[in-house]
Amino acid sequence: MTSVSGVSTQYLLNDDQVADFVISGYHVVEPQFPAEFHAQVYSELEALLTNPGDDINKAVPKIDEVYGHPVVAGALASLLGSDYTRAAHRHCHKNHPGTRSQAWHQDSLNIPTISEGHGRVSDHVQSVLVMYYPQNVASNMGPTALIPGSHLFTAAGDRNASHGNFKDQIVAVVPAGSMLILHYDIWHAGTANTSDQIRYMVKYLFEPASEPNLPSWNHDASNDAHIFERLERDEAALMQRSLVSKRNFRRTTMWNNLAGDAGLKYKYRDKWSGEWPQPNR
Amino acid sequence: MAPKQRLLYLSAQSTDPRSIAISQALHEPVRGTIVEIDPTKTGLDYESVHDAICDGWRVVHFPDQRGSLEGSEVEVFGYQFVLEKIEEFND
Repeated sequence: MTSVSGVSTQYLLNDDQVADFVISGYHVVEPQFPAEFHAQVYSELEALLTNPGDDINKAVPKIDEVYGHPVVAGALASLLGSDYTRAAHRHCHKNHPGTRSQAWHQDSLNIPTISEGHGRVSDHVQSVLVMYYPQNVASNMGPTALIPGSHLFTAAGDRNASHGNFKDQIVAVVPAGSMLILHYDIWHAGTANTSDQIRYMVKYLFEPASEPNLPSWNHDASNDAHIFERLERDEAALMQRSLVSKRNFRRTTMWNNLAGDAGLKYKYRDKWSGEWPQPNR
Repeated sequence: MAPKQRLLYLSAQSTDPRSIAISQALHEPVRGTIVEIDPTKTGLDYESVHDAICDGWRVVHFPDQRGSLEGSEVEVFGYQFVLEKIEEFND
């Protein structure tokens, strides 16, 4: 474990951005580097004769610069607390032309470097995956696909093996240098690479070091009613109605687990009073 | 040419065949073909199971109505219908 604290507040997320992550399970950042920087990373990855596994950051030290960029650190501190830690597990995915699509899955829990281990956590953020793409990723280069909001649900992968395309899937067609911050439990897949280019994706894991007492992002309590409404009503991806109340409960619980003592206060409100429905035309 | 079974898995928002489809996977009766997530495609071929039926697909499996009940430990996305079309294919 490596502690990587110290972030300027200008890089922290705001309430709506944290709500977006709670609702959808992902956040995209694009740290700014000179134009040639990511091309250099790509070249250094191309030059590797073997897969360095967890030592990918030693083999290509520039990658640590990307993960240490204030925009990345700000987002991670917002979601995990300013004392967040970097797990020892890292991986570089080399997706050759002709690589087939993965099945939809949640990443394995059998990673000993996840601190003390944990099961699926549908109402908190105990780990995040951060995927870095050092080249432009076109739709035919095996972009990562994900189902927004699916981090709130869990099942054996083989129970969901007969799904192909989802109506509301998101595909990470992104410019070089983009980073995808994912809730660890989000359903995702690498897709088929039908191009003639290798697509690299480097993955790091980050975790909180402590339970939050207060929000670690730029929080304004006057937004609470707005956030509560968003957690109840925003759609991420279409799913069966029987899961919606469970989804909403997990969203608000996740928010409150992140916000500590500044969590949303539940109180009864009449959502149905107001204008009558208009006559059908 | 021989008549062969095409299989279409459509997961819907409910057990109602007119409810909105949330995912699809089409299995063609051709050796060597695979079903993959298609990142170049937006949307699904059919709005609902009923929409697919109108296009000539026949339902051969209806979803188990016990799936994804409130409080269930196993959360599967949608209610899955399996449909078929018998069409002529070259061997």
